[in-house]
Amino acid sequence: MRRALTYAALGLVCAITVVPLLYMLSLSLQTEAETLAADPVLLPSDPQFGNYATLFERAPFGNFIVNSLVVAGGITIAHLVFDPLVGYAFAKFRFPLRNTLFVLLLATLMVPFFVRMIPLYVMMANLGWLNSYQALITPFLMDAFGIFLMRQFIQPIPDDLIAAARIDGASEFRIYLRIILPQVRPALAVLGLFTFVFQWNEFLWPLVATTTENMRTIPVGLTLFNQEYFTLWHLTAAGSVILFVPTALLFLFSQRYLVRGITLTGLK
Amino acid sequence: MRSLNRRYAVTAYLFLLPAVVFFGIFFYLPIANILSTGTQTGPQANVPAGIDNYVKAFGDAAMHNSFKVTLIFAVATTVGSIVLGLGLALLLDRPLKGRVVFRAALLVPYLTSVAIVGLLWRNILDPQLGILNRLLDSAGLPQQQWLNTHPLATIVAVTLWQHVGYTMVLFLAGLQGIPETYAEAAKIDGASPSQQFWRITLPLLAPTTLFVSVMSVISGLQAFGQAYIITGGGPANQTDLYVFHVFNVAFTSRDFGYSSALSFLLLIVIVLFTTLQLRAGRRAEVQY
Repeated sequence: MRRALTYAALGLVCAITVVPLLYMLSLSLQTEAETLAADPVLLPSDPQFGNYATLFERAPFGNFIVNSLVVAGGITIAHLVFDPLVGYAFAKFRFPLRNTLFVLLLATLMVPFFVRMIPLYVMMANLGWLNSYQALITPFLMDAFGIFLMRQFIQPIPDDLIAAARIDGASEFRIYLRIILPQVRPALAVLGLFTFVFQWNEFLWPLVATTTENMRTIPVGLTLFNQEYFTLWHLTAAGSVILFVPTALLFLFSQRYLVRGITLTGLK
Repeated sequence: MRSLNRRYAVTAYLFLLPAVVFFGIFFYLPIANILSTGTQTGPQANVPAGIDNYVKAFGDAAMHNSFKVTLIFAVATTVGSIVLGLGLALLLDRPLKGRVVFRAALLVPYLTSVAIVGLLWRNILDPQLGILNRLLDSAGLPQQQWLNTHPLATIVAVTLWQHVGYTMVLFLAGLQGIPETYAEAAKIDGASPSQQFWRITLPLLAPTTLFVSVMSVISGLQAFGQAYIITGGGPANQTDLYVFHVFNVAFTSRDFGYSSALSFLLLIVIVLFTTLQLRAGRRAEVQY
């Protein structure tokens, strides 16, 4: 009896989280008339797969996709290159100012993005970088969370391993590439996944840093599209589905990593 | 090999160099700039204004309203996601068939962009087009003007919809970290399930609860998309979330000096909140 109640409660909550997203899929396949009907249509009578093509005619949606891929992909690669590099230095080296620098790094976690937003905007405007990939990518090249995460994973690697490689005459950078990085592959996967999903969905900075339609990322492009053609819900929904697909796929194939990532880092 | 040779310090600095440059330019320089821009005024933020912007902020009714709205939003989403997230975690923290599926279904909204969430719910909540009123209608209940009569509560609910899976995962991890032996010992001592929960489980979850509440308050104070996409801050500024307000002061009114001062004030509030919560948490942990 209690078991049945548990299943019922969980089932209900899951329905509340999943049904709206399924409805989004349904909306994306409806005709414009169906989306505007007084009686909302739950399932399209004749699925309009053409909506997805119309999207590309009515807005530079191809640009939105490319922009999102370049920005989220570029930032993810940067994190995977820089975060472990810095994490390694903090995990395995002693040097003057080590603690001071580490505190200064962790302090940046207390600085929410919006505090940087206006100065960054002015900086980008002065550089003439607004509406460019540089503006969208450079403020996010590294991340204190990621560095901290990598440091935690690198610390347990035995110092003897590094010492042995040095005796064998390996260069410092080679040690890092050949010994350290392969040991932390799972952590890199978590870091890459999180960075990509988070940046793919990012809304505020791409909204601020771009004004030309061609430079918009998908999340921002969607809302513009929606304001401009106020009632085109079928296209808005189709765009939302496209925005959602990569995250859903990543999630499907790496749910365990993602859940581990959340519990390990509490990353937002 | 505990402490490596001094000559390796040079290597370490080389590894650190990109980070020093990056955090200098993209974190510390902006903070310095926001402090100095906050003391300036004019369309280019080029006229020295001392503390005028801060004085203005304290007497600004729009800012007070926005701050109040944001505080309510942050506290409501935090309390809501702790209660719901913990409740769901407790339900899932037992051998159930399809656990992974339930967890996945709950986590999916967390992975969607605020742009999707905002637009989707704007459609669902629409008084004429939306399916929610249609559902109420077919259940024989009166239809609602969600975004007109309860705008703030509605965007809190939408935010909870998106974030509950995240807190649930964190609480689930917390629950799984509690050794079985505690529950067994309590059972032998004759503790009722509710005693077990209030006296054992909840106190042992204090660190998780603290972490969740700190993260949730901080993200609540920074919410933006809900106002920008769903309500436009309205009606009558009832959902004028602080970051949305700052955004408008900066990019609609083009007042960079005042918006910088407002940003800095929120930074102070966030730092205060975090410190208070962490201190309260430390005390809670000491008790047990």
